Amino acid sequence: MAVDMNAPVLVVDDYQTMIRIIRNLLKQLGFENVDDAADGREALAKMKTKKYGLVISDWNMEPMTGYELLREVRADEQLKPTPFIMVTAESKTENVIAAKKAGVNNYIVKPFNAQTLKAKIASVLGDF
Amino acid sequence: MPAPEVASRVRETLSAIKGVDLKDPRLGEVLNLASQMSDAMQAFFGGLDRTLYGELRYISAYIARTRTEIAALRPNDIKDGRIPTAGAELDAIVKHTASATHTIMEAAEAVMAADPSDPNAYQAFVSDKMMEIFEACSFQDITGQRVRKVVDTLNHIEERIHRFAEVMGVEDAEVQETEEDKRRKDLILNGPSLNGPEVAQDDIDAMFGEAGGAMDQDALDALFD
Repeated sequence: MAVDMNAPVLVVDDYQTMIRIIRNLLKQLGFENVDDAADGREALAKMKTKKYGLVISDWNMEPMTGYELLREVRADEQLKPTPFIMVTAESKTENVIAAKKAGVNNYIVKPFNAQTLKAKIASVLGDF
Repeated sequence: MPAPEVASRVRETLSAIKGVDLKDPRLGEVLNLASQMSDAMQAFFGGLDRTLYGELRYISAYIARTRTEIAALRPNDIKDGRIPTAGAELDAIVKHTASATHTIMEAAEAVMAADPSDPNAYQAFVSDKMMEIFEACSFQDITGQRVRKVVDTLNHIEERIHRFAEVMGVEDAEVQETEEDKRRKDLILNGPSLNGPEVAQDDIDAMFGEAGGAMDQDALDALFD
């Protein structure tokens, strides 16, 4: 099935610079419909009012981390199917395993480049 | 027993002694024994005084040395001068890097959005924006100097504390886990690793079953054990 490039994407990061970088990369990839949130709690509130086609989230945020957001999303029947990519500087094996067990669709370790982001989105959503 | 009562008892005993036969050998033995006991008690209390004095002198010297070492630690200088200055330097670094990143991204976004239909105008515009990016990159020099100052401060404090701990023979006490420690442990908040990611992107890809990954199934299974 073709990727819906108009499906809204939610970028979650507590650093505005990172949000801006990901926004620009997504724009280059053809995703124009992008929202952002500064932590898991704000993201969860947005997800409950709008259906997102993809969530790209950082791990280390306050008050709610990306890991907690992922677990909340996977525990919610409505939100459960949302594709979720973790983009984080947390690069220990225990982090990757925990995220995988919690149901993350893919995991990108920072710093990353446009090619990596595109490859991971394609592996989650399909080629575009 | 109160002193007046002791004196009264002694007087009574002396009166009683005056009334007895001083040539009685039993009395001589008792007096001899009393004399020996008195000598022994004097030696005991004399020794006790010297031990106590020695202990007090040691404690006094230890307190004096502790005061000298704490003064050498210069805690007020650390608390009021060096740490606030280092904090201000770090704040300045965060602001400067944020500002430089903003400038660089503004320039890059402007180039990406520029109209290339007029090649000459486009070239001039791109050149201007590239110059802005070069100028913004000067933050690295300034922030590098600020970081150096913070590192010097940390080294300085580390040296003082290390010396103090060594001289005073201080050992680390057990610390209780704080709420923040517990949160970091529960939510696996390790932060960025030094010297690059601990697990490379290729190995992560392998865990997600993507081509090009370096880990085989056995290695993956081991990770999940």
